[in-house]
Amino acid sequence: MISETQKWKVGQRASPQKLSSSKGLFRVGKGFALGSILPIILLIAWEIAARVGLLAPHLLPAPSIILEKIISMYRDGSLFGHVSITLTRVLLGFAIGTAAAVVIGAIVGYAKTAEQVLDPLFQAFRSIPSLAWVPLFILWMGIGEPSKISLIAVGVFFPVYLNIVAGIQGVDRKLIEVGRIYQLTPFQLTKRIILPAALPSFITGMRSGLGLGWMFVVAAELMGASEGLGYLLVVGQNTYSPDTVIASILLFAILGKGTDALLKWIEYRSLKWQDSINNQA
Amino acid sequence: MLNVKRLKRMFNNNQAGFHNINFSVDKGEIIGILGTSGCGKSTLLRVLSGLDPYYEGNISSSDEANNGVGMMFQEPRLLPWLSVRKNISFGLKKEERTSTKYQTYLDLVGLTGFENHYPKDLSGGMAQRTAIARALITEPEVLLLDEPFSALDAFTKMQLQDLLLSIWQKKKTTMLLVTHDIDEALYLCDRILILKGQPGEVFAEVQVERSKPRTRGDAYLSQQKAHILNLLNVEQKAAGELK
Ligand SMILES: Nc1ncnc2c1ncn2[C@@H]1O[C@H](COP(=O)(O)OP(=O)(O)OP(=O)(O)O)[C@@H](O)[C@H]1O
Ligand SMILES: [Mg+2]
Repeated sequence: MISETQKWKVGQRASPQKLSSSKGLFRVGKGFALGSILPIILLIAWEIAARVGLLAPHLLPAPSIILEKIISMYRDGSLFGHVSITLTRVLLGFAIGTAAAVVIGAIVGYAKTAEQVLDPLFQAFRSIPSLAWVPLFILWMGIGEPSKISLIAVGVFFPVYLNIVAGIQGVDRKLIEVGRIYQLTPFQLTKRIILPAALPSFITGMRSGLGLGWMFVVAAELMGASEGLGYLLVVGQNTYSPDTVIASILLFAILGKGTDALLKWIEYRSLKWQDSINNQA
Repeated sequence: MLNVKRLKRMFNNNQAGFHNINFSVDKGEIIGILGTSGCGKSTLLRVLSGLDPYYEGNISSSDEANNGVGMMFQEPRLLPWLSVRKNISFGLKKEERTSTKYQTYLDLVGLTGFENHYPKDLSGGMAQRTAIARALITEPEVLLLDEPFSALDAFTKMQLQDLLLSIWQKKKTTMLLVTHDIDEALYLCDRILILKGQPGEVFAEVQVERSKPRTRGDAYLSQQKAHILNLLNVEQKAAGELK
């Protein structure tokens, strides 16, 4: 029979290191490999189908032709211009939309009166399909960059705003009481308890906001632009070149996935403390 | 030090909570609060700590230094995004929070080596010990403890009771200790308030006239234990079940 004393000693000896392992990276790599099987098979099938003439080249050209298109755009230098202008628009709109959502969301989530005053208005605005703003923004700000970026910012704003408000209002009262025992000021309470507790939901909001940002940049660039991936879509359509269209779709996919992966990585890094299924060592 | 008169806090149309609570606590006293589940012990601590302002009656405190009260809740209430180390240091001033002051308390509660773990990776007892360290590190004048050792094995429990006593000997901290463990109350407390009923009321008060540290289970304490059990009506009930 094990005595109490022995149990205690065993408990103390339990290695503190055993929980932090390096298995995570391996698992990520394995997940990546598994996830790319299907796309690779599809690509190969597509290439073969195009080569043997199953697919009409003026409708759906082979992946190799699309790749060539991208490479040629890279060679003549236009690729970088299109990609960077689109990326800049998204990131600027995303930053503005997120910043506005943080400020307003924090106020609405924290102060009951602010919620009563502001929230109905925002809920009403939210039910307007954001693309309906396009004509108004063009009227107000012309066809240049400001209207495009505002449109993207509006798209990003709502998911971030809603998640922040929900996150702040969902903070466990029991944790807030811990702060009150230590006599934190409202500012300290916000900084040390409310914001960290609302972080998971904030990041969720940012990820869906970024997705919407990419959607709105297409809309913004379709409505009139002289550069950008959305502009390439229009050019491809007008010149009957599906390779241009598909190339820009592909670039959108890569950029969208890339930026989301970045947020996901930030999420993983900053939410390691969460007791979720993904975090089990 | 602390004076409580006709204190009352009720829930659900006076069906729950406590009422008619009178007692006073001298500086450096350790008061035990025993009582059946649901008689309002946690609520009483919440009111005394100032977390629950919706009470009736009178609480007066002569402690002007107001180093704040320390409180250990019935649940650990660790902040899940902070490591054990930062959880322990949570109540400290900004400069001290990054110091190694936590180390002493980490060692005292037997968590050496676990400072970088997150609460999700702790067992229930380890989380509770972290919460104890967090409550002790700020060295408050008054310490309110809500079943601080309930999730621990008998051996750890005794060690931490002795830890509490040694802190009391050094600081003469005034403590209110809610517990379900009669032996614990007899080992640590100068006076034990026994609450009973729903809503709860102080039903009896037991003095433990032995200087600390005491010997566990000496004849006097056993005698007091029988007395308390009697008051809590446990013996009759148990006998009734046997029949
Ligand atoms: N905020 C609240 N609203 C309504 N009822 C409450 C509230 N807080 C506590 N109560 C009720 O008050 C009573 C006393 O609760 P309390 O938590 O103080 O009990 P306790 O003596 O600490 O019990 P235990 O020993 O099980 O911890 C319970 O019946 C509980 O349901
Ligand atoms: Mg309780």
